[in-house]
Amino acid sequence: MDCPTCESLVDAYVDGELSATDSADFEHALEACPECRKRLEAARSMSAMLRELPLEPAPDLLHARIDRELRAIAGAAAPRRALPRWTMPVAMAASLLVAACIGWVGGTLTGRGGVGEDEMVSTYLRVASSEHAVDVASSDRHTVKPWFAGRIDYSPPVRDLTSAGFPLEGGRIDVVDGRKVSVLVYRHNQHRVALSLWPAAEPGDTSPRVTSYNGFSLATWRHGGFEMHAASDVAPSEMADFAAALDRDTGEDR
Amino acid sequence: MEAPKPDSAMVERFRAVMLPHLDAAHGFARWLTRDPVRAQDLAQEAMLRALRYFHAFRGEEARPWLLRIVRNTWIDSRAKAGVEQPLEMVEDRPTEAPDPEQNALAGDRRRHVAAALAALPAEMREILVLREIEDLSYKEIAAVLDLPIGTVMSRLARARERLAAALRDRLGRSGHGLPDM
Repeated sequence: MDCPTCESLVDAYVDGELSATDSADFEHALEACPECRKRLEAARSMSAMLRELPLEPAPDLLHARIDRELRAIAGAAAPRRALPRWTMPVAMAASLLVAACIGWVGGTLTGRGGVGEDEMVSTYLRVASSEHAVDVASSDRHTVKPWFAGRIDYSPPVRDLTSAGFPLEGGRIDVVDGRKVSVLVYRHNQHRVALSLWPAAEPGDTSPRVTSYNGFSLATWRHGGFEMHAASDVAPSEMADFAAALDRDTGEDR
Repeated sequence: MEAPKPDSAMVERFRAVMLPHLDAAHGFARWLTRDPVRAQDLAQEAMLRALRYFHAFRGEEARPWLLRIVRNTWIDSRAKAGVEQPLEMVEDRPTEAPDPEQNALAGDRRRHVAAALAALPAEMREILVLREIEDLSYKEIAAVLDLPIGTVMSRLARARERLAAALRDRLGRSGHGLPDM
């Protein structure tokens, strides 16, 4: 084997892509070729450096997001197959358990089937990733509000809150539990607030309930006939300010 | 192509076959996007797309199959965002200047290696990640990137040369066994 041939095999050898015979030939050729031995050492050293980089396993939140999507799809999917008879009591017990858990999570689940913290954070994260922040970018509510018409089956109240420190950035559609909902995106300094809202199933206003969840601030309340769900990385006190400003502004012209 | 709607049996099979590779999908997405939040979005979008295509999965190796979808989803999202550059033209992201006094520390070396890899053009970055971090064979890489094996080999060689040069700049020549070319 001449040197150019053995040189051309260094990578494939390190990558374990040579057949047993080719490997043996290559190793034999190496003995006579100090240049290629150096190359081999270099290739191994670089490979080792890359392999000691920390892995990036999927965060728990991502697991939760995907698990939820899969459950929604499996639940909404085509006709259920008949289940063996014994599964019925098990299934009933399971759904009772789920119902009990939902009841226990309690206050945060409201309106159309309810939304959990993970979902609110997911909505926020989709907004916070800059490429998909808004589908319609405008601080003018007369631009944003009509944009929703024809995209969802209700017309959400759209308010610009610049005077309160939360300028409107735009709107987008998000899918929560398999349903399309309107999301308004507000900016607050370097942060964004994602406000999802949809018609309330029950009448009456409630005052905003602000919570912290995995470092995010969440607010849930009902106002003017809409369920409001806000999520952001601002401090909880700023989230309370946001909710109050929104209620104030929506209240003014009624 | 109109895919059949996934039923609950298919979702279950998908969970068993593909979910174990979510870490790989996310890791690859991290290196493609170089952004933790966008990586999660990309991995999620790719997972859902994989479910839609799952009816066409014929029991081949699951991880390359999924990584291919991650990459295609990424390319589509870039196209949608108006990024029209071909992969090889993607700008290098500026990275911190090397600090020779810190070079002795292994953790610091890792940081430099990560930064040098992140700064490579996407086309070189992805092939190195698939080979060295995801540990795919040439044949699997060829399937993920939709390239002939010969092109995989030449592209990999070029990526390694470029990374070696970047590391020589960052780490200095001595003691790292990197080739002088």
